[in-house]
Amino acid sequence: MRFAWIRCVLWLSALIVAGTAAARPAGAQEPPYFVAYGQAMEEPGNLEINFNASYGTQRGGNDYIAYWTEFEYGATGWWTTEFYLDGQSTFHDSSVFTGFRWENRFHPLMKQHWINPVLYVEYENTTEADKTMKEVVGFDGQDDFVPRNSELNGTDHELETKIILGSNFKGWDVSENFIGEKNLGHEPWEFGYAVGASRPLRLEATPRECTFCRENFVAGAEMYGGLGTVSNFTLNGTSHYFAPILAWRLPNGWNLRISPTFGLTDASHLFMLRFGASYEFAELGRKLRSLFQ
Amino acid sequence: MRNFGFCGAILVVTASVALAAGSGGARGKAAGATAQSAPNDKEQMYIGRADQIRAGDKLFRQHCAECHGADGHGIGRAANLQSPHVQAKSPAELVEFLRNGNLWKGMPSWAGLPEERRWQIVAYIKTLRAQ
Repeated sequence: MRFAWIRCVLWLSALIVAGTAAARPAGAQEPPYFVAYGQAMEEPGNLEINFNASYGTQRGGNDYIAYWTEFEYGATGWWTTEFYLDGQSTFHDSSVFTGFRWENRFHPLMKQHWINPVLYVEYENTTEADKTMKEVVGFDGQDDFVPRNSELNGTDHELETKIILGSNFKGWDVSENFIGEKNLGHEPWEFGYAVGASRPLRLEATPRECTFCRENFVAGAEMYGGLGTVSNFTLNGTSHYFAPILAWRLPNGWNLRISPTFGLTDASHLFMLRFGASYEFAELGRKLRSLFQ
Repeated sequence: MRNFGFCGAILVVTASVALAAGSGGARGKAAGATAQSAPNDKEQMYIGRADQIRAGDKLFRQHCAECHGADGHGIGRAANLQSPHVQAKSPAELVEFLRNGNLWKGMPSWAGLPEERRWQIVAYIKTLRAQ
């Protein structure tokens, strides 16, 4: 019974993969980060589906694999909405569905500037067993993941806000995020940050279709961590991570990403390997509307 | 000990960003200051050149054709790129329009694409008037 939801996700994934065979891909331009957000919005009407996983090792507690599926939709040119489903499997323990998230990003300025702000609001309904670590805030650390899944029953209702700053210069994407997260129970505001930089290995496209040419690869790095709480804004006792990233865009529209992630402080997880695959369905909104007209 | 690790990572990130800026500048000089060239120089580098048009055709199919159609005639609210209104724009104006988009009217910003690729797309768009 515990694995029933995993079977559902696998069936859904298989249907989506089969669906891509009949769909026309769209070219995504989002930077490849797993945690940091760039200023790029989803193109209006496009649906991007991301399958991501994070294999984590800890100094205490068992290794685990956390996985999450993202459904990212461009509602308008200035508004992107995204829905997440999270789960995790801990070795020598169990697999559990850990909840959902719904996020919205708004691009308030209609023109590009040196630094472009994006406002981010997310509602999270996840259990304490969630190990996706889509952000690190407050004093989040590896100690949170040590208890067995059966002991992590509590559900968190959280509001997460971000100010995303993004710049594009000479092919580089540079993104900075300042994160504020509030548990809707009686918990203080927690803060965190994420920064990232990335660049295609070749800026110009070549005239021919190619799979392994440098223009299809994007390399970069991101760093993120907690900044304490509203009453104790500090770096002491917080966890921080550094993660180089490599992304590969295949000619058939699939994007693959991999990112070895290294914990930098005693509170951090020792090592994580994040990887993901995404596919963007172009103009899905228009096609669905046309079915009902 | 952990402070060394944290400071070390900050140094790595700072150095990466500095290298990014540095390598960009060096490349700009070596390749004829691609990103800082005047629009006329860019036009000579991209507009009307067969290899750049073919590259732009590939990029157009990846990023634009789903809304604007394979021949650029426009689908739904997407603009007809063959129209005199679009074709009358200078290449530099079109490149700048691609960078900003028109978010209120559904045209996304393509600032995430390197400027070189936006010029290649415009090189292809400029050939659509002949069809």
